[in-house]
Amino acid sequence: MSDTILSHHHDPESDGAKAACIDASVRTPVLLLFGNALHWLVVAAFLALLASVKLVAPGFLGGVAFLGYGRLEAMSRDLFLYGWASQAAIAAGIWLMARFCDRTLGGVLLRTLINSAVVLWNLAVLLGTLAILAGYSTGVEWLEYPNWASAMLFLSFLMIGIWVVCLFDRRAGIESGARAETALWYLVAGFCCFPWVYGTANLLLTWKPLQASAQGAVQGWFCNGFLILWLLPVALGALYGLLPRLSGQHLNRRNLAPLGFWLLLFFGGWAGLARLIGGPIPAWMTSAGVVAGVFFLIPILIVMINLFGLRKGGNEEGTTVWQFLRGGLAFVLAAGILGAFTALPGISAFARFTGVTASVDLVWLLGAVSFPLFGVIYLALPSLLGRECWCASLSGLHYWLTFAGIGLLAVLLFLDGLVAGLALLDPVVSFLNITSYVQPFHVLESAARLLLLAAAVIVAANFTRALAAERLFPKK
Amino acid sequence: MHRLSTLLIGILLVFLTSWAGVVAYSSFQLGHLDPVADADTGGTLPPNLRGDAIAGQRVYAAEGCVACHSQQVRQTSVTGTDIARGWGVRPSVARDYLRDSTAFLGSTRLGQDLSNVGVRLPDAKWHYRHLYHPGSVSEGSIMPSFSHLFEVRKIQGQHSDEALDLMGADAPKAGYEVVPTADAKNLVAYLLSLRHDYPLPEAPVKKSEKNDKGAGASK
Repeated sequence: MSDTILSHHHDPESDGAKAACIDASVRTPVLLLFGNALHWLVVAAFLALLASVKLVAPGFLGGVAFLGYGRLEAMSRDLFLYGWASQAAIAAGIWLMARFCDRTLGGVLLRTLINSAVVLWNLAVLLGTLAILAGYSTGVEWLEYPNWASAMLFLSFLMIGIWVVCLFDRRAGIESGARAETALWYLVAGFCCFPWVYGTANLLLTWKPLQASAQGAVQGWFCNGFLILWLLPVALGALYGLLPRLSGQHLNRRNLAPLGFWLLLFFGGWAGLARLIGGPIPAWMTSAGVVAGVFFLIPILIVMINLFGLRKGGNEEGTTVWQFLRGGLAFVLAAGILGAFTALPGISAFARFTGVTASVDLVWLLGAVSFPLFGVIYLALPSLLGRECWCASLSGLHYWLTFAGIGLLAVLLFLDGLVAGLALLDPVVSFLNITSYVQPFHVLESAARLLLLAAAVIVAANFTRALAAERLFPKK
Repeated sequence: MHRLSTLLIGILLVFLTSWAGVVAYSSFQLGHLDPVADADTGGTLPPNLRGDAIAGQRVYAAEGCVACHSQQVRQTSVTGTDIARGWGVRPSVARDYLRDSTAFLGSTRLGQDLSNVGVRLPDAKWHYRHLYHPGSVSEGSIMPSFSHLFEVRKIQGQHSDEALDLMGADAPKAGYEVVPTADAKNLVAYLLSLRHDYPLPEAPVKKSEKNDKGAGASK
C-alpha cells in the first residue's frame, strides 16, 4: 500500500522491492521504538489519571510516599515526553528519513549500534522514572530525571541521530530536488536541535548547575525549545512528507516553504520566553518572547498555506492514517493561534500559572505533536510487516477517543484557567475559595483523562495484537 | 539547500540567536551575580541558608512541590495581583535565587505562591500540622497529605517536644505520638527560609509596605 507512496521513482515494480528492502533494514529498531513508545504512553496516561484523581480527592492514595501528586505528575509528564513523544519521534525520523532518502540501514555494526541505543533509551526512561518514584527528582520541570539518566538519553540519541542526519547527504535524487525536500529539512532540523537543546539544558541545570539566579531563563527556553525545535519539526516533517504523497498533490505555493521553515526555527527559539512575563528574568527577554510568540503565527500560517489545501487522501482517504495526519495539521493551527493569543501580555498576566497554559501545552503535545506521530505509526506498521495488520474498528475507536479526550480536556482546562485567572485578579476572593470554584472542572478533567487512558490502551493493544504473530529478530 | 552542510550551517546560525541571547547571556550575566551587603545586620542579602534549609530543598524537589507551587512574585508592571494577595512586598528578581541550588520558579499555581511563605506563616508547628493533614488547618485545601514525612511512635517516658498537636481523627491512639522525620524538619526549615522581604538595589521595599508584611496571611 504505502510502498509506492513513499518513493519517488515511477516504476512501481522496482519501487516496491526497494521499499521492502529499506523497511526490512530498519524494521527492528523502528518496531521496538514504536512499541515501547505506545506502552510508555499507557503508563503515562495511567499516572496522569491517578494524579488528576488526587486533585479531586486529596486523600486518595494518601500516605504512600511514592504516589504523592508531585511525583505522579513528574513521572507522568516525563514518561509522556521521553517515553512516548520523543521515542515515537525518533522512530518516525528513522523510518521517514530512510524511505524519503531511499537508503537502507546497512552494516552489522551500525545496526547493532542503533539497536543498543534503543535499549539504552528505554533503560534510561525506566530508571529515570523509578528514580523520581524513589525521590531522586531534580525538581526542574521537564528535566526531573537524575543527571545520569539524562546523560543516558543524550548518549542514546546521539547514537541514532547522527546516522539520521547524515542520511540527508546520502539521499537518492539529491540533485533533482525530490518532492520530500521540505520534510527532510524539518526532520534534519529536529534531529540537530534535540542534542543541542537537551544537552544545553541538562548541562546548565542538572549536570553542572548554573547559579540559580540564571536558571529561570534557561528553564523557560528549554521547555519551549524541546517542543518547538525538536518535537514539532519532526511532526511537521511527517506532515510535509506524507500529506502531498498520500493525496498525490503538490504543496501549494511551494516557494513559501523555505521561508516558513527558517521563520519557524527563528521565532520558535524565542517564543517560549513570553511565558515568563513578569518573572525574575530581564524584561527585554520577555518582550522578545512576546514579539516572537505573536510572529510565530507567520510560519504556522505558511505551513497551513502549503498543506491545508491537500484535501484528497487518495487510497488513504478516510483511513485512520489520513484522519490522524489531517487532525494533526488542524491541531498545529489551533496550537499556533492559542500560543500567539496567550503570548499577549494582557492575556498572559492573568492566564499564567492557570489551566489556560496547561491547555495550550496539551494542544501542542497531544494534538500537534502526537497526532502526526500516530499517523506515521498507522502507516508504517503494515509497511514494515508487509501485510495489513491493524484491527480497523480499534483504530477508528482510538482516533475518536483521543480526539474526544483532548478536545474535552483542552476546553475544560481552558475554562478552569479562565475562572481561576479572573478570580485571582480580585484579592478579596480568598485562594481557597478559588480552589472550590474550579473543583467541578477537576472532576470532569479526570473523566477526560480516563478517555485518554482508554485510547492509549486501545492503540497499544492494537499494536501488540498486530505484532503477536511476528518474529522481531528474523532468522538469517 | 541541497547539501547537508548548507542546511546545517543555516540551522546552526538560526539556533544560535536564541541560544546566545537567552542561554549564554543568562549564564554570563545572571550566573555571576553577587550578594549585596546588608546595612542593618552587617550580613549579606540574600541571607545565607542554614544547613537544614539546604537539605530541605532536596525534599522540596523530591516531593515535586514545584508541580503546584510557584516561587515568584511578578513585576507590578505586569500584574499587581501577586502583591495584592500578600504573596510578597516586592517583585522577585534574579538575585533572590542566589542561595538556591535549583530555582523552583514553577509554572502552575494549584496552590499558593511560596516565595514569602516564611514571612506569611512563620510558625513551624503550623507547617507540621499542615503537611500532616492540610485540611485540618486550611479547610477546603486540595493539597495531599505528606504524612509519610512523619513517624508515629510509642511515647517513651515523656511526651516529645516535637510531637504534633493533633486533634480528632488525626490524633494517634493513646500512648502514641506523631513526630516529624528529619526530612519534614528540613523541609519546614526550607519553607521558613523563604522570605524575600528585604530590599535589594534593583528591588527596593517601601517602608510602609514592610510594616504591612503578613497582613494578607494565608488566605
